[in-house]
Amino acid sequence: MPTFVYMTDCDGCGECVDICPSDIMHIDPTHRRALNIEPNFCWECYSCVKACPQNAIDVRGYAEFAPLGHSVRVLREEEKGTISWKIRFRDGREKNFVSPIRTTPW
Amino acid sequence: MFTSNPFADLIVFLPPLAMQVYIVLMIIAVTVGTLLDMLHKSSGKYFARNLKKSQARATTKLSGADKASLAVKTIAIDVATAGEFCNLQRRISHVLMFYGFLSYLATTIIMVFAYPTYDTPTPAIIAALWNIGAVMILIGGYWFFFFLRVNVAHDGQPVFRLVLADLFIVSLLGSVTFALIWEVVQTTGNLTATKIAFGLYILFTTLLFCAVRWSKFAHMFFKPVVAFQRRVEEASGASSLPAPATRHERS
Repeated sequence: MPTFVYMTDCDGCGECVDICPSDIMHIDPTHRRALNIEPNFCWECYSCVKACPQNAIDVRGYAEFAPLGHSVRVLREEEKGTISWKIRFRDGREKNFVSPIRTTPW
Repeated sequence: MFTSNPFADLIVFLPPLAMQVYIVLMIIAVTVGTLLDMLHKSSGKYFARNLKKSQARATTKLSGADKASLAVKTIAIDVATAGEFCNLQRRISHVLMFYGFLSYLATTIIMVFAYPTYDTPTPAIIAALWNIGAVMILIGGYWFFFFLRVNVAHDGQPVFRLVLADLFIVSLLGSVTFALIWEVVQTTGNLTATKIAFGLYILFTTLLFCAVRWSKFAHMFFKPVVAFQRRVEEASGASSLPAPATRHERS
């Protein structure tokens, strides 16, 4: 599931550009906001989703199982050491997951 | 020099009415540009659709007082202190430009309309605030332009490779830089140099206010709306984000 950016939420800080291992998160030349320039090449590591301080990056599910109306959101809380996921299905069902952050500090 | 009204000296080659008409035209240009920008991007429709969606998702109904309190928070945090920015340097640069621009703009209008000639002496504080505002814009603006622009700092683009997103900052810096140059040159008494500096100041100022449709100028209007909408979504339980974790995993 590749990522995409909500342009109105993005503040153009560049964290996602720095962290993307596939180098596909770039800065849009018209609005100076982040964008995934090549979703097909997305590794789906979600580093950008987790790193975004504005929670402006979301996950676009594949059409086979998550058609329009779904959402996959993530909230990373560094100070608590947790990462929470909220999956909303097209029919309104929701699933929530909370996991510990397992990466070592930078 | 920095406590006298530079617009009063214009009488040598420009009647005061010309600057007053120019300012009115620029206000009209900003209004029309913002409306065109809204029409082009359909931002009004976008916000209305988002509002409807978030109202449908809301679990708590907010009262008028709650919304007023959220509006105050938005103004106090997101607008007044640029709370949106997570990067402290960008936040400081933005605050410098924001307050500098407000001071510079307000004092320009006051000086042009209330003290257009030396017959009505300008209080020194007004001219001083014009200069302080201009300096604040230049410090915040050049800092942003050379070191903080995300496409330069993070995307590795050369500093002088300009893109459409730079239209606002370049025209703002050009306008304010030439305003100060014009003010200094004017005190030397060289009329030709004064006219050239003033012409460049007017050129960049016109670009700044007439290019609203293409530049980022309109962010001053829609950013507070986005921030308010986000606060309303959080307070009414309509946010699509996961709820904050209740347990600390890391001690």
